[in-house]
Formats: sequence, C-alpha cells, structure tokens
Amino acid sequence: MQKIFRFLQGHWLRHPLHSIFVHMPVALWPTVLVFDVMSRYGAGDNVLMRTSFFAIGLSLIAVLFAVPTGLVDWAGIKPERPAWKIGFYHMLLNMFATVIWAINLGSRFESFRIATQASATQMILSMFGTLLLAISTYLGGQMVYSYGVSVARISQSKWGRAAAMARANLPEQGK
Amino acid sequence: MKVPLLQGFLIHHPLHPLLVHFPIGLFAFSFLLDLGSLLAKPAPALVSGAYYTMLFGIIMAIFAAIPGVVDWTDIRDDRLAKKTATAHAWLNVTALVLYMMNAWIRSHEMNASQTAWLPFLFSFVGIVLISISGYLGGTLIYDEGIGVGRHRRYNQTPQCTVQASPYSSTGNGMHSFKVGETTELCEGETLRVEAGGFVLAVVKASGEFYAFQEFCTHRYGPLSEGILCGFEIECPWHRSRFDVRSGEVTQGPAAVSLKTFPVRVEGTDIIVSVPSDA
Repeated sequence: MQKIFRFLQGHWLRHPLHSIFVHMPVALWPTVLVFDVMSRYGAGDNVLMRTSFFAIGLSLIAVLFAVPTGLVDWAGIKPERPAWKIGFYHMLLNMFATVIWAINLGSRFESFRIATQASATQMILSMFGTLLLAISTYLGGQMVYSYGVSVARISQSKWGRAAAMARANLPEQGK
Repeated sequence: MKVPLLQGFLIHHPLHPLLVHFPIGLFAFSFLLDLGSLLAKPAPALVSGAYYTMLFGIIMAIFAAIPGVVDWTDIRDDRLAKKTATAHAWLNVTALVLYMMNAWIRSHEMNASQTAWLPFLFSFVGIVLISISGYLGGTLIYDEGIGVGRHRRYNQTPQCTVQASPYSSTGNGMHSFKVGETTELCEGETLRVEAGGFVLAVVKASGEFYAFQEFCTHRYGPLSEGILCGFEIECPWHRSRFDVRSGEVTQGPAAVSLKTFPVRVEGTDIIVSVPSDA
C-alpha cells in the first residue's frame, strides 16, 4: 500500500504525477470552447468539430490518470491544514466538470463526423465545463503556490543536508 | 526584477505555470492527431486539426514566455534553480522556434491526407524538448519551491547571498561579521548571508534588524524569501511562522524554533555575531 502511494505520488519520477496529467484537460477543454465559438462563426468546416471531439475524449482519458494521482496527493495533506479543504472543493469541482464534459462528448458522438458547428446545448456545456475547470484549476494552483502542497516533498532530504551544512536547527527526528 | 502584474500578485497565483498548460497540452494533442492521421488514412481533418492545435499552442507559448522571463529574473543568482531555469528557458525557445517552422511547413500542405514526414519529425523533436523542459519546470516548483508563496511578498527577494566579512572577534565564543549597510534594507526587506559557516536571513522589522537561520525547521523553506508580518516571518512554502526576535514558532506546521543571532548597528554597519566554536 505504501509502495503504491509512493509510486502514485511520483517518487520514482521525482516529480508529482497529478500535475502532469492535468495539462491535457486544462489545455484542451478551454480550447474546445474556443473551437466551438469559432465553429459558430463558420470557421473550419468539420475540422474544428472533429478535433474538439477527440480533444474532449483524450482529456477524459487523462482524467482517468489524474484522479488516482490526485487522490494520493490529497491523502498526504493533514486534515487540519487549510489545503485539505481546498483540495476537497478542487475534487468536487473536478467531478462536476468531468461529468459535464462526458455529457458533452456523448452529445457529439453521433454528429462529429459531419457537424460543421456546435449546437447551442454543446456551447453551453462547453462554457459551463470550462468555467468549473477554471475555478478548480485555480484552487489546485492555490494548493501548490499558496500552501506548498507537494513542495519539497521529494527533495526533502536534499534540503535537509543543506540546512545541516548551514548549521541550522532541524526538524525533530521522526516528525 | 519585480513586475507585480506579471508575477500574478493580482490573482494571487503565478501566471507562467498557469499559461504553460496550453502549449504543453496542445502540442501533445497535435502530435497525437498526427499519429492518428498516419494510422487512419486518409484523414485530412486530423491533419488540419493538428495544424490548428499547433497554431493555438504557439500563440499561448508566446503569452507564457512573458511572465516566465520575469519569474526567471526573480530567482536568486546563486541558486541551483537559476541554472535549471536557464536550461528550461533555452529548451523552450528552441521548441518554440521549431514549432513555428513546423507550422510554416504545414501551412503549405493543408490538403494532405496524412501528416508528412518532415513536420511529423519536427513535432516529435518538439515533444521531446517540451517534455524535458516541462519536467525541469516542474522540479523548479516542486523541488526548489520557485514561485511558491512569492505572490504573498510584495517587495524584492534577495538577489544574491552576501558573503559576510569578519568584523572583529568579541572574545566570548562569538565572531562578529559585517553583513551590510543599514541603508541597504527597507522595512520588511531581507538579506541572505553566509557568516562563519552559518546561513542566515537578516530582516528589518519595525526599524530594528534581526538575524535567524535561513532554513525553516519544517521542510527547510528559504526564510530570506519569507513574508514579514509585524515581528513574525512566514515561510513562503508551508506558512510556518516564527517570531524573528526569539525564533519561536508562532504557527505550524514547524515545531522547532529557529536559531537566532544577535545583531547590532555600528555607524551604518549591520553587525551579526555568530558562535565561533566550529
């Protein structure tokens, strides 16, 4: 169990994994919204609609990897720390966003080979999904940049040696 | 260099790591569409899709570069992270130039039924470059803490480590070092100093100078890049707080107090005393 946790936290790569996988939905879902808007203005014939379909699908596959790696990062936060609560809301928003994008994908399944513009429903789904994603991504960023989640977790021993060299007081052992 | 807007002080989130999602995600997606076009030929829609995705990625990469440059200048010159960030920047510039050439080639072959080998090769090299670069960027954040807590501190962080010059031996087991001039530091500003084997942070709080160990006692965050609130210094990484006068913890997660060092001012010289036993 401990081994699986450390694997999913990215110790083997020396880089957290969750923040790698999320690049796909964070980049592609807003792009789909942009493509939808462009398609409504008559751009790209069927190309944009087809590309959007694959973009949503690929992102949902990336989500499958982002969920377990995100959960272990979250499990590593002590519940009394503010980042735990932010992580919880981050997770809820991601769940809603994922469901909305899955519905969005489903609504395109029949038509993506021929459609030349996004329907009103698809546009609204893309907008709402992007909005949820934006808030959620911001919260995820807050966890890292304001609360230091995963920061100096893998590099801890390196910094510990630097601090010992600088004759600093060190954390109590075993804590 | 301090450019509050580009460092994300306004939205309390650094901008560069936020914007880089786009080029990374879009270039990766573009490459997968290329692969798709090779597998499922003829697929002219995938070829155009890969091109449009790449164009959007290039535009976003240019936007991401601007705050990236500012974040680079903000890293202290003697940090290992500065070298990593420089490599990260050059890899990105190379990748961006390759993608621009790539898009230019593609713009002449828009009606192809599958991606030609030359742009495909360009994309492959591009993906390798941004993977390495993205990894380095990630280690800057997660290993080195670059950008972490930076938006909470409004003034300049130390640009170099001061190698303090010996001042005089005070006899009682302490050595004195001159760490700087009183005119160098404004309220809430810090110095990072090496003196007698110790690494210290020196801060000006309520008109007085205080010195304490540089490394936080939780996960060793750089306190010279910390945020001063009254007489408390807050670690930029995990928000532990310490009283700069006594070194005591005033807020966790840290549990051990800091080493503190006596500071005195002689004329305009800031003098710190450190134990001379080592």
